[in-house]
Amino acid sequence: MNLEKYLPLTETTYYILLALLEPGHGYAVMQKAEELSNGRVRIAAGTMYGALDNLTRQKLIESVPSSDPRRKMYQTTEEGRHVLLMESQRLKHMIEIYNKLQGDV
Amino acid sequence: MKKFKIFYDFDEEEKFLHDMAEQGHILKKYSIFGLYHFEDTEPQNLNYKIDYRIFKNRKEFDNYIALFEDAGWRHVCGTRSSGNQYFLPMSEKAGTDIFSDRVSAAARYKTLYKLCMLNVVFLLFYLLIILLSVGGDLSKLTFLTPGLWERTGKAFWSAFFFELPFVLFRVIPPILLTVVAVLYCYWGAKAKKIYKLSINKVDKYE
Repeated sequence: MNLEKYLPLTETTYYILLALLEPGHGYAVMQKAEELSNGRVRIAAGTMYGALDNLTRQKLIESVPSSDPRRKMYQTTEEGRHVLLMESQRLKHMIEIYNKLQGDV
Repeated sequence: MKKFKIFYDFDEEEKFLHDMAEQGHILKKYSIFGLYHFEDTEPQNLNYKIDYRIFKNRKEFDNYIALFEDAGWRHVCGTRSSGNQYFLPMSEKAGTDIFSDRVSAAARYKTLYKLCMLNVVFLLFYLLIILLSVGGDLSKLTFLTPGLWERTGKAFWSAFFFELPFVLFRVIPPILLTVVAVLYCYWGAKAKKIYKLSINKVDKYE
């Protein structure tokens, strides 16, 4: 599958995929994304549900068995992890090139 | 109290519900095609938020409501297949909106547009079946009594009224289907227009 098409990730997607490296339900992802981003990325409920729905359809996350009948548990898939890796490499390069050129000045 | 009103724009609908609550009319139920049921109480300042979603099963619907409740939003009304889902904040943690970026807020119009177009396709399909059933000859849907229009007086009227219910039974469904299809086209076009407007206002990577 061509995973390049998902790049660049939005900040919201990036943090959701990161948060779901460990299984979690929707609200847990909202809290985790806020925590991981030092309180900068606050995803509202409607945006969160839509994002989980889209990512499930893109197969970057999947639902896993949940102990709570009302709350679905999600987890990042193999493809999702790969997209995260590609995105972090892309960002890393951007930072490296910045540091290099700034260093030259 | 009941009120009939049609909205194409969710922001306007939210404002309408907010204004009604300020006059002491609290939304109790929304039935399809614009019928709002209100309960009279004292005036309140309520920040209604509307999402648009249809769910494939009960479990998914429960999961959706649970997520909103966890985030501090109470599901006021809406069913699994109603599309419109109404929410009110129930605690501080809810914040001011159910969307944190404008792309996801605009996505509601895309869902609405797609559903309208899907309905149009279904309606056209039914129309096609009706058309095929008469071999494309629409006159076969009207009066079929041989020589009816040559008759006069009592003979004409008794035959006319005898067949009339059958004619209506044949003619009304395709007319109704056509009217509903046109309405859905109009509604879908409105949704698409608002979607385009709101999506063009945002940066591609927001």
